[in-house]
Amino acid sequence: MHELLYVIVMPAVMGAVTLFFPKKARLPAGIIALISSVWMFIKTVKLFGLGESEYFRTVFTMGDVFQFDFALRLYGFNSFVLLFIAMFGALIILYSIGYWFKDRETPGIYYTYILWTLSAAACAVLSDNLLLLLICWEVLTLLLYLLVNMGGEGHETAAQKCFTILGFSDAAMFLGVIIIWLVYGTLSISSLSISTGTTTGVIAFLLLFTGAIAKAGAMPLHSWVPAMAKPTPAPTMAFLPASLDKLLGIYLLARISLDIFSIRTGSGLSLMMMIVGAGTVLFAVLVALVQHDLKKLLSFHAVSQVGYMVLGVGSGIPVAIVGGLFHMLNHAIYKCGLFLSAGVIEKRVGTTDLEELGGLAKLMPITFLTTIVVAMSISGVPPFNGFVSKWLVYQGLLQAGGYYVIFLIVAIFGSALTLASFVKVLHSVFLGRRQEKFDGVREAGFAMQVPMIFLAILCIIFGIYARLPLEKFITPSVAGSTGVSMQEMAVRTASGYWNPVAATVLMAVGLIVGLIIYAFGRTRRVRIDENVWIGGNILDNEEMRIPGTHFYKTVTDDLNPAWTALFKDGQEGAMDVYNIWGRIGFSVVQVLRSLHNGILSTYLSWVIIGLGALTFVLMFAL
Amino acid sequence: MQTYYPLFTAIPLAAAFLNLLLSKISMKVSDYIAFLVTGILSVMAVRMLFEAPFTYAVGNWRAPFGIMLVSDGLSSLMLVVICVISLLSVIFSTKYMTMYTAKPKYYSLFLLMIAGMNGVVITGDMFNLYVFLEIASIASYALVGFGTGKKELEASFKYLVLGGVASAAVLFGIAFLYAITGTLNMPDLAQQLEVIGMTKTVGFVVALFIMGFGLKASIVPFHAWLPDAHPSAPAPISAMLSGVLIKALGVYTIMRIMFNIFGKNELISAIIMFLGALSMVIGGLLAIGQKDFKRMLAYSSISQMGYVLVAIGLALKPGAELVVASLALIGGLFHLVNHAVFKSLLFLSSGAVEYRTGTRDLEKLGGLMKKMPVTGSACAIGSLSIAGIPPFNGFWSKLIIILALFRGGYWIYGSVGVVVGFITLIYFVMLQKEVLFGKLPDSLSNIREAPFAMVMPLVVLAALCLAMGIGYMAVEGHLLDPAANALLDKVAYMNYLVGG
Repeated sequence: MHELLYVIVMPAVMGAVTLFFPKKARLPAGIIALISSVWMFIKTVKLFGLGESEYFRTVFTMGDVFQFDFALRLYGFNSFVLLFIAMFGALIILYSIGYWFKDRETPGIYYTYILWTLSAAACAVLSDNLLLLLICWEVLTLLLYLLVNMGGEGHETAAQKCFTILGFSDAAMFLGVIIIWLVYGTLSISSLSISTGTTTGVIAFLLLFTGAIAKAGAMPLHSWVPAMAKPTPAPTMAFLPASLDKLLGIYLLARISLDIFSIRTGSGLSLMMMIVGAGTVLFAVLVALVQHDLKKLLSFHAVSQVGYMVLGVGSGIPVAIVGGLFHMLNHAIYKCGLFLSAGVIEKRVGTTDLEELGGLAKLMPITFLTTIVVAMSISGVPPFNGFVSKWLVYQGLLQAGGYYVIFLIVAIFGSALTLASFVKVLHSVFLGRRQEKFDGVREAGFAMQVPMIFLAILCIIFGIYARLPLEKFITPSVAGSTGVSMQEMAVRTASGYWNPVAATVLMAVGLIVGLIIYAFGRTRRVRIDENVWIGGNILDNEEMRIPGTHFYKTVTDDLNPAWTALFKDGQEGAMDVYNIWGRIGFSVVQVLRSLHNGILSTYLSWVIIGLGALTFVLMFAL
Repeated sequence: MQTYYPLFTAIPLAAAFLNLLLSKISMKVSDYIAFLVTGILSVMAVRMLFEAPFTYAVGNWRAPFGIMLVSDGLSSLMLVVICVISLLSVIFSTKYMTMYTAKPKYYSLFLLMIAGMNGVVITGDMFNLYVFLEIASIASYALVGFGTGKKELEASFKYLVLGGVASAAVLFGIAFLYAITGTLNMPDLAQQLEVIGMTKTVGFVVALFIMGFGLKASIVPFHAWLPDAHPSAPAPISAMLSGVLIKALGVYTIMRIMFNIFGKNELISAIIMFLGALSMVIGGLLAIGQKDFKRMLAYSSISQMGYVLVAIGLALKPGAELVVASLALIGGLFHLVNHAVFKSLLFLSSGAVEYRTGTRDLEKLGGLMKKMPVTGSACAIGSLSIAGIPPFNGFWSKLIIILALFRGGYWIYGSVGVVVGFITLIYFVMLQKEVLFGKLPDSLSNIREAPFAMVMPLVVLAALCLAMGIGYMAVEGHLLDPAANALLDKVAYMNYLVGG
């Protein structure tokens, strides 16, 4: 079998095998899935080393008019995306084995869906044919829908929302693909080069853009991500909206805006994308600040962070593109890590409500440490990876100057709010006071720890040795796409690098000094915990818990009333396009329904009037 | 096979009467008769696919005077659809119809309906077509009211009145045609009309036919009977009505008459495309927000038939390139076959759900995937197919139709097709949410999977949805191409007169 087909067919077949495992055999099913995904990962590493490869086969033609090709093309850019898709697949499956270990309700079909998702994602990334890409895109939507439907209470509404929003974006892509086929005569991605000077070009771009950002979860088509956050189990959240969908969505965005349409800096479409990006960064993080549920909070950050990628890629500035793509990778890593931590909390504590949690650091030291690392990464704190990619985006925007400074300010402000939001998370989950009922909570098992530790280490490596992934994975892809030579690219991006080693050493020294002081304080017992005494009553410590959920209430309560009203509306979903269109559509349907009143004479009159109209047209127009 | 061609109507017709007699001896016997008859018919229909086109003169009367039967790609395709879906519905009925009384009468009506539909499809004579149309229609009026409840009888009555108007219009049209041409033989009519051309009288006849057959095909604005009639019938009959009857009596007749008798015409093409697009949108919008499982499916039938009609309309356009016309027809016919498969699947699964839960109210259902996994999965596959999700069959047929529309220059209709595809997705996701997923109501906590006789047809149909999606090439080569060519080649059809 062709080496490219292998990574698509193998997971699909193994997925079909696990389909037949009964509920009781979920552990063997998981192990088979793990072996398949690791095997797939090894294959993708080989493919990455191979660099380039192609596969082409015409599946069918329809009367010389239409031809459907199964065309795959491996090259620099998609080979590293493929590599990371397989990596996340293996990590998530390993984690899931731990997560579902004692769960009797989850059937082996969970692994089937994950493996099929891997297969479809590999096919989507490798595809060199727009229709094939579209089919994979829709299959991925379907599998996401099925995975959400395996969730807890309220899953059916969330699944409906996911399928509806992504179905809409898939329909838009479908239209875009057909327009491209009709106007430009081919569906082969590598041979397409469309000018955005014409109206059809712009329309086609916007339609494909819709498909890309909905998958990635940027505003205004983001609301499926927060909707699915609560009922969906953490491994699924970590796998799809957090990592895989980001990789795929931004991959497609980069393909269309760099390869197919070559959007130039300063063009209207570029500006549009940057506005979408900056808007997503800001609004989503504001909503994230006031969330009460850990998974929901993380999901709003998953939306917010997409903004940086869209901003970077959409700007058309090489350094910012590099930053945007690197951020895609980094985000997949740390957001996956964050959801995995949330999964540990969910599994071990039984809730992800921030009001309930607190003081878990002592009970779950490993989870605490990994969460700190990934939380610092997402907040853009040096020397972790999130900082490097955000820094590159900032540098790109600075290079362009002019009104781009506005976007820069928004991006930096968003980053600050992200940090604020994660201070809240760390406080309300791991620090503060613990409720007594959670005293017996245990640390995550081995299978769950390994992926978390692995991802945290990646965050550090990609932060300190950022040149490694940048030069290995990202700069070559961008250089190929933007027409800038490799050398020039290296020079241009070098201006965006910073020297992390010295800074890291300094920070490490600072931290160690701090730790020493703290440890010294502990030995002297400077602080003693006492119960609180108010007005003659000794209050139980339990009542004096300060959950982190009240940290940023000012955002909703104490600002300008107009703003708070808008904010409340936004949080309750009034500004969600899904709800708005739902209401409009429903009123149209009501009008139509009221016409169908069930009275025979009404219906009969329609028939007679219809016949009259037909007769008129046919007799007098002929 | 050629000499047995009339048996397609003769067998079910005879069995319908015989069944009533034999069931006086034993009630059990009617199950076997119906199964045997539809089984034999299915085998015969599949064998017909491998026959070259031929004509058959009933009673050896020469063509323009006697009744002529015509077999070509299109009639073979329709026969397969009718007979196979009938067989599966009969298997389903053996268990399902125990909810009703008078099973033998039910089977007799069922067989009568099959005889009528087969007759419409194989005949080459206009009046003969009308007779079979009436046989099938009258059997279906009775079957819609078979439950004899208040709602069933009301629906049946509405259907009867509107269907009667349509039949009258068709008869009126045939009378006009006979007055102009002096013949009722369809190839002969085609030849005569070629000479006469499109006069005002012919235009009126076309209007009568579009209304008459359009009502049977439930084109908007002649659709209003369907959302009442289809849900009221017993589930296997709903499957037959939505899956087969509207196609055999409505869409097939429109195709046959417009292509092979009147020939391509700009105005007819424009009208059919417009009405098709209207049906697509209005049917789709009305399906959203329905609270009755089967009613939602019924509205979606209107919408999906719209796709087929738009495709037919495009192929009828004289100016369209041949490749576009044949692409449109292949898409339209493929969608017709697909719709027969997934809509009967969905109606049957609604029957299985009703059989176990006793309700079709979407608000009272939920979480059935866990309790009825096979029925649930089959229903999910059916609804994903109809919503046009790859790799299931509905995706490909919609894709082909939309490609043809865009290629033919109809950007607006093409975009409407995409939008309605999305609307279809909305209400089928809603359906799945209400029925299959979510929380199981307490009242349904001890239901079981449907019995084997009901699950088996569901599994077969669901497998067909997947197989026809993945094995599109085989379907096109053996089923669709001959049918599309039969429609596009008017001259060949006119020559059947000589051949007969």
